[in-house]
Amino acid sequence: MNLETKIGKITLKNPVLVASGTFGHAKEFERFMDLKKLGGIVTKTITLKPRLGNPPPRIVETPSGMLNAIGLQNPGAEKFVQEKMPFLKTLKIPIIVSVMGYSVEEFVGVVKFLDNTDGIDGFELNLSCPNVPYGLRSATKASADSSAHAARMFAHDASMIEQAVGAVRQETKKTLIAKLGPDVSDIAAMALSAERGGADAVSLINTFIAMVIDIKTRKPVLANKTGGLSGPCIRPIAVRMVWEVFKKVKLPVIGMGGIMNGKDALEFLIAGASAIQVGTANFMNPQASLDILNDLKNFMRKEKVDSLGRIIGSVKG
Amino acid sequence: MFREKCKIIENKKVAPGHYVLKLASPRISKNARPGQFVQILCADSTDPLLPRPFSFLTASKKDFSILYQVVGNGTKILSQAAKGDSLWILGPLGNGFSKAQKGEDLVLVGGGVGIPPLYHLAQALVNRTTSVRSGSWHRTWSDKPNNIHVFLGARNKSLLLYERDFKKLGVNLHIATDDGSKGSKGFVTEILEGFLKSRQRTPAKIYTCGPTPMLKAVSLVSQKYQVPCEVSVEVPMACGFGACLGCAIEVDDSRGRRFAVACTEGPVFQAKEIIW
Repeated sequence: MNLETKIGKITLKNPVLVASGTFGHAKEFERFMDLKKLGGIVTKTITLKPRLGNPPPRIVETPSGMLNAIGLQNPGAEKFVQEKMPFLKTLKIPIIVSVMGYSVEEFVGVVKFLDNTDGIDGFELNLSCPNVPYGLRSATKASADSSAHAARMFAHDASMIEQAVGAVRQETKKTLIAKLGPDVSDIAAMALSAERGGADAVSLINTFIAMVIDIKTRKPVLANKTGGLSGPCIRPIAVRMVWEVFKKVKLPVIGMGGIMNGKDALEFLIAGASAIQVGTANFMNPQASLDILNDLKNFMRKEKVDSLGRIIGSVKG
Repeated sequence: MFREKCKIIENKKVAPGHYVLKLASPRISKNARPGQFVQILCADSTDPLLPRPFSFLTASKKDFSILYQVVGNGTKILSQAAKGDSLWILGPLGNGFSKAQKGEDLVLVGGGVGIPPLYHLAQALVNRTTSVRSGSWHRTWSDKPNNIHVFLGARNKSLLLYERDFKKLGVNLHIATDDGSKGSKGFVTEILEGFLKSRQRTPAKIYTCGPTPMLKAVSLVSQKYQVPCEVSVEVPMACGFGACLGCAIEVDDSRGRRFAVACTEGPVFQAKEIIW
């Protein structure tokens, strides 16, 4: 059975990746599973400088989903290389580092800093974190308020996507993946911008900007007011978006959004995803990603499909 | 830390809206220390989605129990689980309360549904045969139960969870209820302060768990009387093992002012390190 799939210059031995922000830096999951069996790992997002993250409450559960506003808490690029990379390197599977900057310059800065680090196979540009303030436009004054109304993320603006991807492209020969956000009217147009900027692949979708209100206090439950909605409740929208992008863009698509089991993963692959990422499911079952991989193998065995290539983009009609 | 499907031995109502759930698992039970917790998947569905964290109430060689209040969909489903059913459990998780030294006066302050981990702790302190694997945790303890003062607070007497069981341990019990239906009328922190004021010998340590306003009040009292205080916090949590960083709590410790995660750095913190 051939489960191999290609994302840019990276060949994955199977299509199951873990999504940024849901898998720490992998060490947290070592006790539960054989990490080497994964297709690859996407790290928690790294910024050039350390970030403390948002004040609590940071999470709240919703029907078949959850909101988070962690705020990209991370040790910064330098500490990441010193403290997290040595372990990641030992896994000998593709390591994709999720990176984020508040400006094009910062995106370039963090990739430049990390590019020569041994063991990094690619970068996923987090253009779509809904929980941090961006200093993108003059209209967006420097403010600690990172809720939806202040968020002017790269992923909402086709020209900004192209600009950010294009600038980072100049700095690295490694595989470059643009992670897109779903709060746009035309997701395929955003993917095309990433393609024009020189991305090797696009990954979608990031969380939806969402809100839960406490009816007694009449305040938003999250301290950040808004957060990113993930989990099975967003899955059908994510499948539709992967399908739309697959039809219009030549780049490989990495699909994600509420994948809980093999059936869910297959929907994304059939819709056109060359690989998938398991996210929120990791919180319910730390070995969810490997369970999904097994489901996938069982499906192929049962359906007598010998190669993953026959599944990817096989949607009919 | 283990993840396994555990069989329900018992799921019994102990107070209005409160249940004790006993589960079979030698591995989890033997490794459980007071103040640690388990994550329980309440249903095999996506709603409720996330596991729910619960402190240990008891842990023996073969089984452990938790005490929970029905507050939402997850705990409602949990309350309907029957003997013989199995649940996915992850644990033991987090860091427990610290050890006690020989001859020390100890104070335990529990409020409402924060009482269970203190019962686990009191058991370990009193009963040296309790299965606590952390090496010398209980072996260093060789005092009589009368060195242990337990303060329990609740809205009314029916919510004084495990009061009788504490009594059986032989510890000194101090009770306060909001409505005065048992013990002193008022907050548990008031009788705690009265106690500390009257004592000539300052207790070695206060251990506390309960609603956040109570924890804050206990923390302030402990600082006023200069008693080291350990608090077990309750915050919304997703994964329980340090991956999501959802259960943040603001602290100021040796690493400066920052957000610590309650699941792996806590849930027990030094009271003085928490920014309330």
